[in-house]
Amino acid sequence: MATLELSNIRKAYGGTPVLDDVSLSVAEREFIAFLGPSGSGKSTLLRIIAGLETLDAGEVRLGGERIDPLPPGRRGVAMVFQHYALYPHMSVRENMAFGLRNARVPREEIEARVAEAARVLEIEAQLDKKPAQMSGGQRQRVAIGRAIVKQPRLFLLDEPLSNLDAALRMRTRVELAQLRQRVDAAFIMVTHDQAEAMTLADRIVVMNDRRIQQVGAPMEIYSRPANTFVARFVGSPAMTLAPAALSDGEGPFARVRLASGAEVETRVPRAGLPAGDGLLLGLRPEMVSVTAPGAGTADAEVMLLERLGERTLVYARLAGGQDVTAEDKGDSPLRTGDRIGLRLDGAAAHLFGPDGAGHHAEAAR
Amino acid sequence: MDRGRLTPVGWAALLLGALIMVAPIVWTLLLSLKHNGELVGHSGAALHGPYTLENYAAIFGNSSTLRWLLNSAIVALGTTAGVLVLASLASYGFARLEFPLRRTLFVIVLLGLAVPSQAVILPQHQLFAWLHLHNSYPGLILPGLIAPFSVFFMTTYMRGIPRELDEAAMLDGASRFTVFWKVILPLTAPAQSTLAVFTFLGSWNDYWWPLISATHSDMYTLTVGLAAAQMNYAQTSGLGYLMAQAVFASLPIFVVYIAFQKQIVRAMAGTAVR
Ligand SMILES: Nc1ncnc2c1ncn2[C@@H]1O[C@H](COP(=O)(O)OP(=O)(O)O)[C@@H](O)[C@H]1O
Ligand SMILES: [Mg+2]
Repeated sequence: MATLELSNIRKAYGGTPVLDDVSLSVAEREFIAFLGPSGSGKSTLLRIIAGLETLDAGEVRLGGERIDPLPPGRRGVAMVFQHYALYPHMSVRENMAFGLRNARVPREEIEARVAEAARVLEIEAQLDKKPAQMSGGQRQRVAIGRAIVKQPRLFLLDEPLSNLDAALRMRTRVELAQLRQRVDAAFIMVTHDQAEAMTLADRIVVMNDRRIQQVGAPMEIYSRPANTFVARFVGSPAMTLAPAALSDGEGPFARVRLASGAEVETRVPRAGLPAGDGLLLGLRPEMVSVTAPGAGTADAEVMLLERLGERTLVYARLAGGQDVTAEDKGDSPLRTGDRIGLRLDGAAAHLFGPDGAGHHAEAAR
Repeated sequence: MDRGRLTPVGWAALLLGALIMVAPIVWTLLLSLKHNGELVGHSGAALHGPYTLENYAAIFGNSSTLRWLLNSAIVALGTTAGVLVLASLASYGFARLEFPLRRTLFVIVLLGLAVPSQAVILPQHQLFAWLHLHNSYPGLILPGLIAPFSVFFMTTYMRGIPRELDEAAMLDGASRFTVFWKVILPLTAPAQSTLAVFTFLGSWNDYWWPLISATHSDMYTLTVGLAAAQMNYAQTSGLGYLMAQAVFASLPIFVVYIAFQKQIVRAMAGTAVR
């Protein structure tokens, strides 16, 4: 059964549309990540669910009940804000109890819930401190604690990790993952960090340009991007997209020719592909390996090297001017300006039609 | 600023400044402790004894003085309370609520800053006469509640409070009023105390309106009452008494300054609004 149901949501600020016909269904206890570049409407959608923003059209249902006409406090959702939004003049204990007091929860019950949340989040020693006396990581925990005590059906988190330093972000990420195991609720987390989305979410909702671009499990988003936007946005470094034309042939799989003349045999079924050229061949860096000149699919010149330790990223340029990102071993002997060959692994390549829609190798399923 | 880095010249300048500021106060204090007759010939007599408290005794001997003190306290505290309540409510509206003509109304409030109270004193006097408010506490307090600067100051301060706090409170099930009362208002405490100090001092020191409005001596405030009491014989034969009045009238102000030093300094430095 779906916990949260968004149907045909529209939102514009002034005359500028921000969300255009957005629909989404979130299952019980599911962890959803809204992933997209800044300004893509992620926060707006989250705030519409929370009731902090009105919608122009559409419906929001939670547990079957229509909640979009309800005020934020009556929706059974809790939110963790990007800047925590702890009440500076209240102690940690009061911060966590505030919502329960407003809901007229009995005192003993409030105390019990606050104590339990403090125990789980290991902030028992901080209960009488004010937020200003705490570190960023501790404040983050209080913000999460304030959400937990309300026992909501749905947690909403807006970029919850973006204000933490790298080490703390990793740790909090793990703790969030543990938290969702313990809590009987669904989660929606807004992020522009794909690593966060990939590691935490059951399903990722990729947003851009007012719309949901793709909804899917992390590996599905990664290996079967629905369109060129998702292909480019997910994965680091970004997938190479090279203009290609469909070659004549009889086989069941498409064979394409790049501008440089190189031919790549893909495992993308020929049936269903749009005829003619205007295709884009999509290659993740790990599908492109370095060979001796002449020994690969195409020859190229090394433009830039990024040595990451366990691997080296090779930014190379094909004869036709097309840039391709390849991967080499960590102690790669390559140098900028070297002439190399590139082996393009067609079996794992993607094709994108002129409309941007993705077509994927069958084997990847 | 690095406090340790004050040069000897800097010290000397500060010391000189402090002396210049303090000298008249000390002089006033010394004069107030002298017998009036001794000062008639030569006020330099204040530099040596004998000193006496008779001038202060005379102030309290005037049965009206305590009444005026009470009036001043009621008017100053009433004005302060009224300004804080009105400025807080109005500012919350301007800072947080959406309503028609909000900007226009705010501009009108700001225009109030440009209207000197002298310019409206005649119609104001007439209006209070019609309403039979002269010689009453409301009559003395109400004009002080016209406080455009306080509204502007508090609105600016509230706008500096992150909206996320309101939103968090709304998600915590708080009503509009609860958000105002339990979240926003406590966070304006520094602004409230700054406004309170300045409103109190301004009201305590006010002379003109109570002089015009309070014509019965039992409704005088301290400033008006003391001024009225000195008319006949001050300057010439009552210098010591005059100075004792000045000291007495400014005592509450000293107390307020000392108690709220921090707020005053912060407000002067313009850092009260973060
Ligand atoms: N209150 C607002 N008024 C006008 N425009 C807004 C408002 N809030 C957001 N927007 C605009 O809506 C778009 C989406 O914003 P947002 O949902 O915050 O994006 P994201 O969270 O994905 O970065 C942006 O172009 C932003 O400028
Ligand atoms: Mg955002």
